[in-house]
Amino acid sequence: MLQFGKFVLTRAFLAALTLVIISLVVFTLMEFVPGDCAERYLAFKNTQGSGISVEDIEIERKRLGLDKPFVQRWTLWIVNAFQGEFGDSCILRVNIAQLLGTKFWLSLGICLSSLLLAYMIALPVGIISAASSNAYLNNGLKLISYLGLAMPNFLLALMIMLFSTIYFGDTLTGLFSKEYRDAEWSMDKFIDLLKHAWLPIFILGWSATAFALQTVRALMSDEIGKLYVTAAAARGIYGRRLLWRYPARHALSPIVNSLGFDLNRVFNELPIVALILTLTDAGALLIESLARSNDQQLAGAIIFLLTATIVSLNFLTDVLLAILDPRIRKSLIN
Amino acid sequence: MDTLIEVKNLTLKFKTDEGLITAVEDVSFSLNRGEVMGLVGESGSGKSVTAKSLMNLNAMNAVYSPESSITLHSAQEEIDVLSLKKPADLKVVRGGAISMIFQEPMASFAPSITIGKQMIEQLQLHSDMSKQKAREISIEMLDRVGISDPSRRVDQYAFELSGGMRQRAMIAMALSTKPRLLIADEPTTALDVTIQAQVLDLMKDLVKDFNMSIIFITHDLGVVAQTADKVSVMYLGRIIEEGSVRDVINSPKHPYTKGMLAALPRLDDLDSPLKPIPGDIPSPLERPSGCVFNTRCGEVLGDQCSADIPSFTSFGKSRRVACHLYKDGSGA
Repeated sequence: MLQFGKFVLTRAFLAALTLVIISLVVFTLMEFVPGDCAERYLAFKNTQGSGISVEDIEIERKRLGLDKPFVQRWTLWIVNAFQGEFGDSCILRVNIAQLLGTKFWLSLGICLSSLLLAYMIALPVGIISAASSNAYLNNGLKLISYLGLAMPNFLLALMIMLFSTIYFGDTLTGLFSKEYRDAEWSMDKFIDLLKHAWLPIFILGWSATAFALQTVRALMSDEIGKLYVTAAAARGIYGRRLLWRYPARHALSPIVNSLGFDLNRVFNELPIVALILTLTDAGALLIESLARSNDQQLAGAIIFLLTATIVSLNFLTDVLLAILDPRIRKSLIN
Repeated sequence: MDTLIEVKNLTLKFKTDEGLITAVEDVSFSLNRGEVMGLVGESGSGKSVTAKSLMNLNAMNAVYSPESSITLHSAQEEIDVLSLKKPADLKVVRGGAISMIFQEPMASFAPSITIGKQMIEQLQLHSDMSKQKAREISIEMLDRVGISDPSRRVDQYAFELSGGMRQRAMIAMALSTKPRLLIADEPTTALDVTIQAQVLDLMKDLVKDFNMSIIFITHDLGVVAQTADKVSVMYLGRIIEEGSVRDVINSPKHPYTKGMLAALPRLDDLDSPLKPIPGDIPSPLERPSGCVFNTRCGEVLGDQCSADIPSFTSFGKSRRVACHLYKDGSGA
């Protein structure tokens, strides 16, 4: 037990270290963007019609602390970032933590929900299809998962929107109805969110399911062919017990292992889906800040939060793996 | 001595994409209570498939010919193994009256379940004993097969034991339900020679203690010589020679058995060249017509070897050879 605690602490430390390194990369990339926050804001103001001088930029630069050396600024940024504080957006001039708050949780919720959906389908279906010798079932599943793998998410989103516009007169875009968009959180607002969120969850979950199904099926087929399953059958174990307690239980560890990659992939797909469905979540905000307004402060914050989520999930799966698999657990203890 | 299990005309084909593949053809043998039989042959000779048939354990695509029959004689009843379909009915031949141990003890234990849990599961499946009682018996069995500190080992995983220890644990698990027949599929192939001898000795002891029969599947004639009472030699799914171990090893009659014995390395004459049997075992898709061994045989007589399947010629009570060299009844 003590060793297990030590393992968890070590992994947590490594995860934090990874985050620090990532923050360095993200922060350095932010630096490489031509111009800095002060210039960008004032240039933006300029386009709005205010006259701007070089002195104004210098004053703004001092105010933002951009005149300090790189290491000092990075240290400040990372210390704040770990506390969930990312300063102000370059262009919008509002606190990023406030701006992102709900949006980030919404995005995370959508991603995790689609992952949950994917595995809720892929686990039972993959396990049963690997155990079944029904050729129609297996070929049908293969076809569906190839479709899921081959069809880009944005195309699926467009098709569903087209279909729904023609038949229901509703484009199914956004995350909230008009009346709830700026309303306080309430039960009704949450229900309204669910009414809208199923579509991005479904679209992201579609390809995630296809991937997960392939993974689960492959791992299960591998496990079913192993000698210990035959040996268990030779001891008289049969039916569901033989399927779930033996190969399924043992295929679980590598499946858990793949969760981190899956979340990563879903995150990558989120911005595009968000753009098409005009979702007001962090994915859309990331595209906005990267592609249109060049808001390095905001983009950096979002990228940092996304990677932090993936690092945390990987930490969780590592711990879960150690709990599930005695080989890993025991190798840690000895 | 009374008969424990009787196999008659066992023919088994596997349905595959390439067509039906014959794995076992017209195999018959019987085994008495307390008797140890060696089933010898190269890989692909059908010895494992034959053994698995006794537990009706072959893959779903196995097709048994209608003449095949396997009868298990128990005190109360006769069980027609191949007619058992429901998994619950199959329990009696899977872990109940018949147990099996495999070549790789590491791979035969589920890696993420402790040895004890797997043993208790089996015991509870085959009887209505309590978990506590099943655990006691498991520890007793581990102790019986020579595992030190069994009450600690019972809660360990297979990967925490050494190779020889795992095979002992495997034997303990197989014998915990007191089966009347133990099928040992190359039980010592994966072990060091020294450990191999220990495990073989242990098995010999256990046969006596439990009054159990064993079918030893192996390609190692040395193992058979040490352990078995009688031996059947298989080639491409057919038994081609059988008899007492002494007779078969001292005076092999079938050219294949002769070749197999001649191929053994000789420790007393290190300079003598190895004499392999020429050629490879043919693909099961291209089974030779006539005698299955005629494509590699050094004593082919002529057309009859590739045309007619040789019938058994008896030499004494339990000695039989299927070869055209020995005409029926001549005993030459």
